[in-house]
Amino acid sequence: MPSTLKTDIEELTATPGVVVVRFQGSLESETISDIEKVFSRVQMGSSVFAVADMSSVNLISSAALGELMGARKRLIELGGDLVLAGVILEIRTKLNLMGASKIFKMFNDVRSAINAYKWETEKKSEQVELTFPSNLKMVPAVRQLISRIARQKGYGNRDSFRIETIVDEICNNAIEHGLNDSNLNIGIKVDIDPDKIEIDVTNISDPEKMFLLKTHLKPEEHQDIHNDEKRGRGLMLIKMLTDELTFNISEQGTVVHVKKVREE
Amino acid sequence: MDISFPYHIKLCFPGNLEYIPAIRKYISELLQISNFSPKFAYRSEIIVDELCNNAVNFGCRTEDARVELECTFFNDRIEFTIKDQGGLKENVDKLRSTLDNPVPGSDSGMLPHQGMGLEIVRMLSEKLDVKIDKENLTSVHVVRRREDSALE
Amino acid sequence: MESQIELIYEEIRGRENAKLIHFIGDLDATNVETVLEKVINLFNDGIVKLVVDFKQLRYVNSTGLGILLHFSKSAKEKGGCFKIANINENVYEIIEIIGAASLLEIYDDLDEAVAAIE
Repeated sequence: MPSTLKTDIEELTATPGVVVVRFQGSLESETISDIEKVFSRVQMGSSVFAVADMSSVNLISSAALGELMGARKRLIELGGDLVLAGVILEIRTKLNLMGASKIFKMFNDVRSAINAYKWETEKKSEQVELTFPSNLKMVPAVRQLISRIARQKGYGNRDSFRIETIVDEICNNAIEHGLNDSNLNIGIKVDIDPDKIEIDVTNISDPEKMFLLKTHLKPEEHQDIHNDEKRGRGLMLIKMLTDELTFNISEQGTVVHVKKVREE
Repeated sequence: MDISFPYHIKLCFPGNLEYIPAIRKYISELLQISNFSPKFAYRSEIIVDELCNNAVNFGCRTEDARVELECTFFNDRIEFTIKDQGGLKENVDKLRSTLDNPVPGSDSGMLPHQGMGLEIVRMLSEKLDVKIDKENLTSVHVVRRREDSALE
Repeated sequence: MESQIELIYEEIRGRENAKLIHFIGDLDATNVETVLEKVINLFNDGIVKLVVDFKQLRYVNSTGLGILLHFSKSAKEKGGCFKIANINENVYEIIEIIGAASLLEIYDDLDEAVAAIE
């Protein structure tokens, strides 16, 4: 029975520069010309970053892999790349045996491949939002969560540790200056991209403590007030570790915004 | 201040597997500071991991898709609800099939681990409810009861 | 980026085509690809008799389990083996729940696993 291969190209209008090439069937000697044709069409188009959707590929030969490698080389020369997505386990094993994993980046599915492109090439940021009860005992788990996320997204140990300290200090402040009510929550919004992380921490303020907070932010305006040294040190630490620190204090609540540029 | 039950946490994250290790450890750590045993925390970590993996792999259709995880910590149990924004029809059909035929790793043409995850969650929990609406938005609700009495 | 997992290799004296691998960390969906690549490379080099030490493997999810089953199957197909020793209680429970305990070659300790290599 002759080998069959169906191919399809989709230019992604939502992500200019990216094209998805779908294969269905066998990638082998008999279908090499089909592989060649589809990548010729890709090269004639405007997109140079290609994601090969391999989820419906049931066979791949070394000759076909060679053709894919050639296609990748040509796309790289144009400033792009070819990555593989959705390769089933048996084919993945075979590709690894043929050394393909040293050459091609592989993704679980087309969506992850596109997201990785957006992250690396477009520096597109990703957001995590969380809420948790206003209780100091929660803070270690929260700061570790955000620090681990930073590390997972490629930030180095030093940056991740600093992020952990920043989150710790801001959350402690938010809880200690907030209303002492365990039914209230702290809200955190994390916005992370390859170059920087921005964190917003929101709490409901205690009106009695707000004045004290304001004195720490502008101590030169309140020189005759006894400063809470510990709180002052915490804010000083945040200022030193971040590239941007702003407060929005209102009767409804306090939003602390920090930005930290990635160093490693 | 001591932790008072019940309390509620919420997380919303991109449909990307990379976030899951940090999230499962977060839940495990919250359980341990809430006086649940390390074993309970470990089993819950598995539940969160498997639910989040399924939501990301099968419940996210677009690049901007997000997953929402809510946990309520009670004195005697933890309840999870995980919501996704709707997967491709073929993936939702696979989920329905897995729920109707809970035999993992069978010759269904799926990878060895597909279906296994939900089976593990089912075995580790007292209650597992899955709701799929007409737009394929899926919400999974799981209850796991404390089996030890660390608070006594 | 992935969850932390480290594989440390050791020769098994007197055993041809065999290797001992210590798994350290967590095995989940974010790092199965790395582990797959490393083990497949060993098979590629003709090292088909593997003993894996799980003493420092804290955590495995269903994706990790799937890859272990795959390794076991692949090793047998090549005339080799994939023997697992020192599984901790938590990890073993998950393996048991899924019914994979009878599909994997599991040993209480490393010496037993090594001795069982043909």
